[in-house]
Amino acid sequence: MTQLIPILAQEGVSIAPAAQALVTGLSLGSIYALLAMGFVIIFKSTRVLNFAHGALATLGAFLVAVFATSWDIPGRWIPSLPEWAAWVSAALIALLVAGLFGMMLERVFIRPMVGEELFAVAIVTLGLDIVLRTILNDFIGVNARPLGDPWGIQLVDLGWVRIAYTEILQLVVTISLVVAMALFFRTRTGVAMRATAFDQEGARAQGIGVGRIFSLSWGIGAVFAGVAGVFLSIHPRGPAGVTQQTAFFAFAAFPAIVVGGLDSIVGAVAGGMIIGLAQAYSGLLPWEFLGTGFGGVVPYIVMLIVLFIRPYGLFGTEEIRRV
Amino acid sequence: MRGRPLLHTTYGSDQALLNTGTKKLLMSLFMLLLLAIPLFAPGTIGEEGSLPGPDFLAAGDWLRLLSTVGIYAIGALGLNILTGMAGQVSLGHAFFMGLGAYTAVVLGAPEGALWGLGLPIWVWLPGAGIVAALVGIAVAPTAMRVRGLYLAIVTLGLVFIGAYLWRNLDFITGGSQSGRSHPQFEFKLWKEEAPLIDFSEDGIWFGVLNLSSEAKTYLLILVLTIAAVLLAKNLHRTRSGRAFMSIRDRDIAAEIMGVNEFKYKTTAFAISSFFAGVAGALLASLVGRTIPETWNLFLSVQFIAIIFIGGIGTVSGVILGTLFVILLPRIVKDFTEWMETVVESGDGIMAGVLDLFISTKPGDFGLINTSAGVAPGLGIDQFNLVIYGLLIIGFLIFEPLGLYGIWIRIRNYWKGWPFTY
Amino acid sequence: MRVRNKWLAIFLVMGLTLAACSPSDSSDTTEGATATTEGATATTEGATDTTEGATDTTEGAREIATDIGVDLEAGTITVGFLTDQTGVFSPLVTVVNTGIEAYWANVNANGGVHGLEVVLDFGDTAYNGEQHVQLFEEMKDEVVAFGHSVGSPQTVAITPGLIEQGMLAIPLTWYSGWSDPNYNSSVVPHGTPYCIEAMNSIEYMAGETGLDSPTVAIASIGGDYGLDASDGARLAAEALGLEIVYDGAGAIVAGDPTSYIEVGNAIAEADPDIVYHTGIPWLGWPEVYTQAAITNGLEALWSGASPSWAPNYVSEDSGIRDEIARDMYWGFYLQPWDGDSEGAATVREVMTAAGAPPHDYYGEGFVEGQLLLQALNIAYENGDMTQAGVLAAAKSIESVDYNGLAPSDDYVGEPNEIVQRVVHMMRPDLTSETGSKLVQADYTSPTAAAYEFNGACFLLELG
Repeated sequence: MTQLIPILAQEGVSIAPAAQALVTGLSLGSIYALLAMGFVIIFKSTRVLNFAHGALATLGAFLVAVFATSWDIPGRWIPSLPEWAAWVSAALIALLVAGLFGMMLERVFIRPMVGEELFAVAIVTLGLDIVLRTILNDFIGVNARPLGDPWGIQLVDLGWVRIAYTEILQLVVTISLVVAMALFFRTRTGVAMRATAFDQEGARAQGIGVGRIFSLSWGIGAVFAGVAGVFLSIHPRGPAGVTQQTAFFAFAAFPAIVVGGLDSIVGAVAGGMIIGLAQAYSGLLPWEFLGTGFGGVVPYIVMLIVLFIRPYGLFGTEEIRRV
Repeated sequence: MRGRPLLHTTYGSDQALLNTGTKKLLMSLFMLLLLAIPLFAPGTIGEEGSLPGPDFLAAGDWLRLLSTVGIYAIGALGLNILTGMAGQVSLGHAFFMGLGAYTAVVLGAPEGALWGLGLPIWVWLPGAGIVAALVGIAVAPTAMRVRGLYLAIVTLGLVFIGAYLWRNLDFITGGSQSGRSHPQFEFKLWKEEAPLIDFSEDGIWFGVLNLSSEAKTYLLILVLTIAAVLLAKNLHRTRSGRAFMSIRDRDIAAEIMGVNEFKYKTTAFAISSFFAGVAGALLASLVGRTIPETWNLFLSVQFIAIIFIGGIGTVSGVILGTLFVILLPRIVKDFTEWMETVVESGDGIMAGVLDLFISTKPGDFGLINTSAGVAPGLGIDQFNLVIYGLLIIGFLIFEPLGLYGIWIRIRNYWKGWPFTY
Repeated sequence: MRVRNKWLAIFLVMGLTLAACSPSDSSDTTEGATATTEGATATTEGATDTTEGATDTTEGAREIATDIGVDLEAGTITVGFLTDQTGVFSPLVTVVNTGIEAYWANVNANGGVHGLEVVLDFGDTAYNGEQHVQLFEEMKDEVVAFGHSVGSPQTVAITPGLIEQGMLAIPLTWYSGWSDPNYNSSVVPHGTPYCIEAMNSIEYMAGETGLDSPTVAIASIGGDYGLDASDGARLAAEALGLEIVYDGAGAIVAGDPTSYIEVGNAIAEADPDIVYHTGIPWLGWPEVYTQAAITNGLEALWSGASPSWAPNYVSEDSGIRDEIARDMYWGFYLQPWDGDSEGAATVREVMTAAGAPPHDYYGEGFVEGQLLLQALNIAYENGDMTQAGVLAAAKSIESVDYNGLAPSDDYVGEPNEIVQRVVHMMRPDLTSETGSKLVQADYTSPTAAAYEFNGACFLLELG
């Protein structure tokens, strides 16, 4: 079924597949990186494997859809705003709400589990994922919900490669957020978060409000997931909008997290990019025996290969086990 | 001594599964009751007779539900051995079930356009378990290399790799969305035409018992479930079982004590995958037809939910958990239908109160949408899902020992009564 | 118990209240069509004769055999629907269901089936094969027949069960197997099969390109829905001598974004003039289209089996509305909402009276309803309203006249003679209420007309 696809441009079709795959890979990779970053921030602080991350991504996208299209906030109050500014501010407000929601989730569902076995908490997030997704699906409805973004399908056509405005945006936003996190970790609260991640008891002894750090890390995680959700619901990943299926994309991010190392933010970004590029380039493989849907398992194969070499991921810290 | 159940005077009595006469008696009665359930339906004994008892339990769809409970129990027991006893977190149970189901279909389905050898049940059912166990043994070394949450994600990967395989091996699975039928429950000696015992048709057993196909299938699965429970319970008191538990608690310490980590982790995976394979083959044959998309993450999660809701590490907990998770959606559905009839009849305070919970048309207020069209509230299946998710969360937060823990609390309360403080 | 459940309890109550207030999806009301006095919802040839004892409930009045689903004392007939209310085809199927409810409300208001009221029982399968089988097992002993069963693979899955139970199901799918005597002992098909629809579409579009020999690319999801349509496209291309530059039948994995990207790239790479892409509108169709036509800049005409189209492709918020309007075609056996036939006019009247917004798919509910009504009437007249009796009645129908809403279905004759070959060619329309417009009515392409239909285009292993 898959035919031999030449790497370089062929006659009649101007696009060079290898270059286009690079663009696609970076675009996919930045979404995975965002999901992985949010996940790792939560994991580093609270040691919780958050299976509800996909639901948080859908939540973010859905809130943006509602704020930007249905409610038109803040556009309705400031009619003079140009379209793109109105949308961006609506998105920012919606993501803030998503962040607050994440904080509330932590306070209500995760805080009672402090001290319990790690996997038990992970299962709580599994239950949370089911509840959140079901209720969200009910609100989203069976049709897709467009987000109303101002960029649409516009792209930059260089002949041998075509880059959508939104793909450029994804990369820019991801890099900005990485830089922002790096700067954040130098602030007072950021240092407190690093301390909590390093040694909870010690941090408490220093007077750091560990509970508030937990909530904050979930809030940040939810925001990152929400941003990823937004990118999943606009061109080119989700031309129709946010749907009930958007959440399942997050499962492909788990390998990215493992490849990078469960507790490394740098690893999360690296892992995301690696997985995204691997998926994009796997589409170029001409071998017919690979069958359909091979791209879906590529993340897991890459993960297995990496784990074989480094069992804690590329940048993960090795667990010191004591008797 | 009689009347002192906790006093053991011999090693044998300490290790026995049913160590008092009372326990033995009660268990035998319970087994008889389970065997007799299909006989509650009218017309099962002789022409018109039946045992006195709740006959709704013996209705075809309830028997089918109970068969499903049995199959899920077998699978959950397997996962319990791996995760509960040996402490190896696994989200890949659906993969092994699919593997078992497709082995069974290759061995047992009649020859035709898709692969099938037409072998009898006593080949395909154990075969399903054995092949799954072999693959489990192949997967086990990863548990040596990665542990804890990393292992969870690796096993998650198994499910997706499985999905890829089932989709592409369409000469075995029938292909994406289309699927194929699975061998029926019938006992043949080899490949003869007419089976010795046919579980898929209504028929007469022992001359007088008039059993439907659902009843016969239920009895078959009941026997297999009891066998699985015995195996699992027995495992607790064997060398392997104790080794598993020591690895779960502190694997380095166990290794120091001489417990071969590699050997026992592999054994745990093998046993767990065997149970999963058998359960998968049974489930596929019960449902009759499966598609490759059947063996998905949601199925794996169901088993995780069962063992955590039921009480991780305990066999009774697993049974309670399975009953709860499988029967609850049906009970909620029946309850909602009852609520709907009350609301529609419209009389009394009950109708008014229940109307707050149910919405039947657009514009109505309610939590559960019982109409077929669009109306506010969750559909009944969605409502069931929300309850399911909340139960998982609730049990883990409030009662980490699950249903079994609640049972222990109740039992201890009554044991000490009236001095229960 | 530690005091940590206060917040949890508050949150749960809030969450559940929130869920209760969740909005309904659209303004579709299904509140029983305020029946217009128009008795003729293009009904059957054996008219519902209301003079025949309107409350004909006592057994003494007439001897009717019943077993499941028909309660003569209560005066009801229960019909089941294995439908998709929350799954990937639900936006289209729930519209069909709205049509079904309005149709039967109308029928009931005009005397029902010889005085018996038809009660509808919808079961949600979410387009999931296993749930379909489970629901079938539950409902087979509660309903007299299945008014529809959604999904080709799903209906194939219950076919052995239907045969064993001896009951009728009307498929809400146009898999060509339903016209094949090997597959259809328990189903009564209606409409034009996917593979013949594909032949019509391909040939029509080949004409539209203005090229002598346009190249063709084929892609679809797996399962009999996608593969049957792809088979038809392939047959048409071969018959017309068109080069197939890419054949990705079954290459798309619904739900896997990487496969969308891969297939979209592959289609663009092959640079076809016509693309026949069959998929699910809410699970991959726009994604593949976007990857090929927009990201890769492919210029081609696009089509797919009719369920691949959804009006929301050209909704106001859709980013690809202009491109879709430029590229897309599809063929459907039903007249659209603004069709000019009497049957379509009836649909418009009944649905507008019920307060439903314009949509092309209500007619499907009316067609299914009419088919079933005819079967029920015949069964009543035969005195046998058991499941088997209704099935036999349905199988004895010689033809059904839909008053132009759909081409008449004939059931007597060789498959090759009676199989439906007519479609109405449609294109998107940015200004119309339904998002679509009719461009060619009653179209049968020469290839489709000449095709020897001797069995299912895509042979599915029932075993």
